Amino acid sequence: MSPATKAMRTPDATAASGDGARTMLLTGNQAVAWGARLARPKVCPVYPITPQTPVLEQLTEFQAAGEFDAEIITPESEHSVMSACIPASLAGVRVFTATASQGLLLMHELLHYASGARAPIVMANINRTVASPWAFWPDQTDSLAQRDTGWIQLYVESAQEALDSVIQAFRVAEAVQVPAMINLDAFYVSHAMEPVAVPAPAEVDAYLPPFAPEHRLDTGKVESWGNVVSQDMFYRHRQSIEQAMGRVPQLLAEADRAWHERFGRAWGVVERYRCEGADTVVVTMGSMCGTARDAIDAMRDAGQAVGLVKVRLFRPLPVAALRAALAGVRDVVVLDRNHSPGAGGILHQELRAALYGMPGAPRVHGLLAGVGGVNVPPGRIVEFVRQARASDPLPESVWVR
Amino acid sequence: MLEIVIQGRGGQGAQTAGNLLAATFFAEGRHVQSFASYGGARRGTPVSSFIRVDDRPVRVRCDIERADAILCFDATLLEGRLLATAHERTLVVVNSGRSIADFARALPGLRVIPVDAIAISRRAGLGRIVNSALLGAFARAIGTPPLATLERTLAELSPKLTAENLAACKDGHRTVDALLREEVAA
Repeated sequence: MSPATKAMRTPDATAASGDGARTMLLTGNQAVAWGARLARPKVCPVYPITPQTPVLEQLTEFQAAGEFDAEIITPESEHSVMSACIPASLAGVRVFTATASQGLLLMHELLHYASGARAPIVMANINRTVASPWAFWPDQTDSLAQRDTGWIQLYVESAQEALDSVIQAFRVAEAVQVPAMINLDAFYVSHAMEPVAVPAPAEVDAYLPPFAPEHRLDTGKVESWGNVVSQDMFYRHRQSIEQAMGRVPQLLAEADRAWHERFGRAWGVVERYRCEGADTVVVTMGSMCGTARDAIDAMRDAGQAVGLVKVRLFRPLPVAALRAALAGVRDVVVLDRNHSPGAGGILHQELRAALYGMPGAPRVHGLLAGVGGVNVPPGRIVEFVRQARASDPLPESVWVR
Repeated sequence: MLEIVIQGRGGQGAQTAGNLLAATFFAEGRHVQSFASYGGARRGTPVSSFIRVDDRPVRVRCDIERADAILCFDATLLEGRLLATAHERTLVVVNSGRSIADFARALPGLRVIPVDAIAISRRAGLGRIVNSALLGAFARAIGTPPLATLERTLAELSPKLTAENLAACKDGHRTVDALLREEVAA
């Protein structure tokens, strides 16, 4: 399915330092696999699906070379993959998996179970269109449709951010015992090969200590999970998950700060790009942020006060950070590469809800841009912004291309 | 920023060629982004590979709509959608036994350099595997990356038949070099 999945290692350009850190040419998928390798999970149940398959291929190559000490399990479906992830995680070991599109949808039932069981699994999802009709293009409807399953969700823009985020996600997920999903767009990130700084294993070990949960399934010390409970216990259990989720923005910010101290890179919870004095701000997630940066630079060069807010953490929705980032802005232009029939763009809905009731709240324009993988070059984003600034926002999302 | 589109059919090696080219520019110290887009990677269906090369990190993540150079693995793909990415200064290298003049007549206003990569690959003992020959030809046509760096990348990354791939790459480079010299002389 994927003809060029071998890591392009070019010794001449590989800046290797003595501690094992190096810069390599990697695709987003390979970077995810490197992130997983460096996080040292013990169990990796996986089922292949385009465009996630190269993640699995890279993990099995690592394992075959003796560089990845995890048990890789290949059950008969993604439903079974998640069914294997949950008890492995509850047994007290670090668990990683990866999927895409239909595979994620097939896991849906177990996604709820995983968060309810407080299993801090980390999963990479490659955002791909959902059938029918059948297609392989970048579109975030697959993971956004899982927004109520109780998983932390991050959306990344590059292979480097994918690698870094897998490791950061383990740190945050394990701190709150909530599973986490790293989402990367098909092809634009999953299959884009670019220079990636691969950190030294010892440095990652120091950043991410071994997973040692206080409670785990252990026949020598009997505890149980998932019993039939009373209404009161269920109610309190949901409150406890909500409290854990509430801690995530702060914990992610701390994990990101610690990452920056050690590796010199930070990605933020929400990132503000050239927002100083901006009267208009583009808000989006994933690979389109990169394209939007070039559009913002072009508009700034033309004297327009336009910035970008990148929503890296989507679940929990960092409402306070979004309100702070967008305070005083006149127009917010949301670019949604997803589609909820009957409701429009999902980030559009979420953002409007987050800003509702805020004094002097911005006017929010929702644009369905890039749905189904439709190409969105910087020039189009400039045009979308021009049109939005010149018109009153509509209650519904608008189709643009 | 240099933006390159490679167009081939599933199984011909367009995606691999894109990654090899990116690896070569990376070895030259440039920032690169190389990605392929396909509808399921079936053998024979069109596959596009996009390469961006710049002196600073490449941030933009969209298809290339205006290519500076096009490498086309199959002359039957030199039409409609692919040609829409070409502009007056776009340089096209195509795998074909036809002449420069033929293409100049068929596609007026477009600079097309044909190279018979199948003949080169057969001579090198690679059968119909044309990507090394085409990469050599393309590097000469657009004047970058240097042949020596391309050869080092191929030597490092060819899974097998390394000597044959290097010979095909050199031959492709030489063929286009001769073609361009002839043109200058004429």
